[in-house]
Amino acid sequence: MWSRTQQRLIVLGWVSAAGLLAQEAPLPGGSVSINLSKDSPVTLVTMNSGQSSVTARGAAIVLNLHMDFTLRNDGSNRIHGVMLRVVSQEATPGGKGSVTYPSLNVGPGEVFPVRIDMQLVRPTQVAAGPLAQVDLDGVLYQDLSFYGPDRLHSKRYLTACELEAQRDREYFKRVLAQSGREGLRQQILQSGARQRQTDAAPLNVRVVRSGPSVTSAGLPAEHSAKFALVQFPDAPVELVEGSAQIAGNEARAPHIDVVNRSGKAVKYLELGWVLSDPAGRQSVAAALPSPERDLYLAPGKRTSVLQETTLRLFSNSGQPANVQGLTGFINEVEFVDGKVWVPSRLNLDALGQMAPPSAEEQRLFNVYLKKNIDGLIEELKKF
Amino acid sequence: MKHPNQEALALYAGSDLGFFARWRVERHLAKCDVCVDEVASFEAMREIVTDLAEIPEVPWNRLAAEMKANIRLGLAAGECVRKETPLRERPVFTGIRAAVAVASIVTLAVTGLVMEPHARVGEKAESRTVLQGIQNGIEVEGSGRAFRLLNTGATDVTVSVGVQSVGARYVDPKTGQVTVNKVYVE
Repeated sequence: MWSRTQQRLIVLGWVSAAGLLAQEAPLPGGSVSINLSKDSPVTLVTMNSGQSSVTARGAAIVLNLHMDFTLRNDGSNRIHGVMLRVVSQEATPGGKGSVTYPSLNVGPGEVFPVRIDMQLVRPTQVAAGPLAQVDLDGVLYQDLSFYGPDRLHSKRYLTACELEAQRDREYFKRVLAQSGREGLRQQILQSGARQRQTDAAPLNVRVVRSGPSVTSAGLPAEHSAKFALVQFPDAPVELVEGSAQIAGNEARAPHIDVVNRSGKAVKYLELGWVLSDPAGRQSVAAALPSPERDLYLAPGKRTSVLQETTLRLFSNSGQPANVQGLTGFINEVEFVDGKVWVPSRLNLDALGQMAPPSAEEQRLFNVYLKKNIDGLIEELKKF
Repeated sequence: MKHPNQEALALYAGSDLGFFARWRVERHLAKCDVCVDEVASFEAMREIVTDLAEIPEVPWNRLAAEMKANIRLGLAAGECVRKETPLRERPVFTGIRAAVAVASIVTLAVTGLVMEPHARVGEKAESRTVLQGIQNGIEVEGSGRAFRLLNTGATDVTVSVGVQSVGARYVDPKTGQVTVNKVYVE
C-alpha cells in the first residue's frame, strides 16, 4: 500500500490541481439577466454569454462577463438611440453602469447587435443568482419621441446626442455642397485628427466623491481660483463668474454663477470645466451638471451651479500634475418643456480642442476609414 | 528451568503474593531447592526487621515542631537583613538587554516606514469611491470592490468625466457602432 509520504504527496497534488483549476472557471448559466418589459419596443432575439468566466486574483474574485446579444426594433418608428442600464448590486460600491448606442438608424423590424464587456471585482465568493442585470432605460426615435423608464436620464442624454448628430451631419452636408468631395475629405480628416488629439490629451482627471479627504503633508495650502469663462453668444444661459478650491493636483467644490438669458425656464444645465497645468496643458473637459431635482431657473434669473466634488489631475504617465488654471463653458441646457440646447459648430470652434468631436463625428470618421469618401457621402444621404 | 525473580520470592516470603502468582511460585519451589533457600533467607530477614520495630519510639511530632520553628526563625532573620527596593525602581531591562530592546523598536519603525507605500506629492488618502478611466475601460472602485465596463479592442476612446459618472466613448470594433459606456456612483 501507499506509504505515509506517498499519501501526503497525493493529497498535496490534488489540492494544488484544484487550486489551479479555480484560477479560471466558466460562470454558470443564469449569471446575466436581461429584463425587457412586455411593452418594450425592442425585443431580445439572440443572446450569448458563454465566454464569461470567474478568475481568482490574489484574495479577490474577478468576474468577467461578456455579453453579445441581438435586439430587434419591434416598433413602427426608426430608432436613433438606445440606453441599457447595467446593475450588479453584489459587486458595485453604490454604483451602476450604462451602455448607450447613440447615432443608430434602425428601421422597424430591423435588428442591431449589442455587446457588453463587464468586469466585477469583489473580495468574496460568488453568490447565487444573477451577477448582472441588464434592462432598458430608454429608446429615442427619429422624431425625438422617447420610450423608457428614464432612470438614468437617457431621454436628455440621447436627445442631446441626436441634436449633435443632426448638427454635424448638416455641417458635413454643407461642406460637401460648398467644397465638394475633397473639401469633405479634408473636414473629416480634421475631425479624426481632433478626435485623436482629444484621446491622447496629456492630462486626465479622476473624480473623487464628497469633497476633500485627509490631505498629505506634500500638498500646498488650498486657495480659491477663478474660472476663465468661454461665452457663446447664442447660448440661452450666460456664465457670470465662478471659482473652485485648488491645492496641488486637486480642484474641488467648483461653482459657477449663471443667468438665464432665454425666454423659457431652465430645469437642467451642464457646464464643462477644463483643468490646465503650469505648462498650459489641458485636461479633457469634465461635466459640471446642475442638481437633478432642485433647479428651476426662470427667465432673467441668476443661480449658482455648484457641486461638492473633487477632480484630481494626472499626466498620462500617472504622475500628479498641479492645477494651475480653470476654464468653464456651457455644454447643455434643458428647458422645462423638454427641449434641449447644445452648442453650435461655431461655438465648438471657439472651444478648440477642449471639446471632443461628437459621437456622430466619431461614427462618420469610422465610416470614412472603412468605406472611403464615397461611403461617407452615401452615409450622409441616408439622413 | 526458569526461576521466579527475586521480587516474587520476597513477596512470597511475606505472604504478599496474589493467588495465581503464589500457586506458580509454590509449584516451582516444589522442585527447586535453590529458590527454597532464597525464600528461607527472605523469611529470616523479615524476622530481623520485625525486631527493629521494638526500638523505643522516636518523638516524630516534637521533631517536626522544632524544625518548623527553626525555618520560621530563619525566614524572619532574612527579612530583617534584606535591603528593600521598590518595584517601580527596578529596571526591567538593564545594560545589554535595554540596548537590544531599543534597537528592535528602531528597526521595526524603520521597516514600517520603508515598506509603507510612498504617498505621492499631491495625492490624498484613497479611502473613498473613485471614478476613473483604466487601461481598457472605466471603473467605479472602492472598498476592495470594482465595477468596470470595458472597451475591449477599441483603439480611439474618448473619456468623459462628470460629477457622478465617468464615460468612455468608442467605436466597437466588433459591432461597428459608437458605444458609450458609463459607470455611476450615487
